[in-house]
Amino acid sequence: MSMFPAFDIASSALTTHRIWMNAISDNIANINTVKPMSEAAYQEKFIVAREIPSAPGQPVGVGGGVAPVAVQYGDATGTVTYDPTNPLADKDGLVRRPSENLGDQMTNLIIAQRGYQLNLAVIDRAKSSYQQAIDINGR
Amino acid sequence: MQAIQASLDGLAARQRISAQNLANSETPGYTAQTVSFEDSLSAALASGDPTQTTIATGVTSDPPNINGNNVSVDTETISMIDTGLKYQLATQEMNNKFRILHDSTRQDL
Repeated sequence: MSMFPAFDIASSALTTHRIWMNAISDNIANINTVKPMSEAAYQEKFIVAREIPSAPGQPVGVGGGVAPVAVQYGDATGTVTYDPTNPLADKDGLVRRPSENLGDQMTNLIIAQRGYQLNLAVIDRAKSSYQQAIDINGR
Repeated sequence: MQAIQASLDGLAARQRISAQNLANSETPGYTAQTVSFEDSLSAALASGDPTQTTIATGVTSDPPNINGNNVSVDTETISMIDTGLKYQLATQEMNNKFRILHDSTRQDL
């Protein structure tokens, strides 16, 4: 797909934002996951994104898009909470709750969603530009 | 013209596979497929006979999600747009060839 490079670049961004949204949705899904003190708390997931260098033949300075390269994990200690009625509580009545913050997750979700929409808009514009280029010849 | 026809065949096959992948985007255990023909077309052109072009299907290596499906809906949609534009280019070129052929057979010039 190198005839229309804007598609490759925007497509890589769509994939990256989709994976980011998946990670955020997992973080939100586990926001109430309680673990016993003997285990690590649910660890918030962070997606590490890196830019892709220019493909051979592309002008220098025009990159190749973005790719998710790794997942990093948040605090394993979590928030230690006193909840003696919880079946998972230890003899002191303590359990681990995730230390992630719902406000952060929702903010990131909006950023990821907007990023996805932006790149869809890029594809739309690029498509009509390429279409016009194709139509130059048309009778 | 045979080269353009081989290209149109390959692009049509890719469009079909993309449609099939999108149709199966919720099918458990489905692995997305791909179509490649450009390298074969290029080799066939180098040997002088574009009708020797072969259209090969493969599978993607993307990691599957929970239900074993690995179709990436955005990638497939962009592939359909990309393939559609290339198909337009190829059909236009084919029309140009036919127009030249048609003009060359006119008697009333």
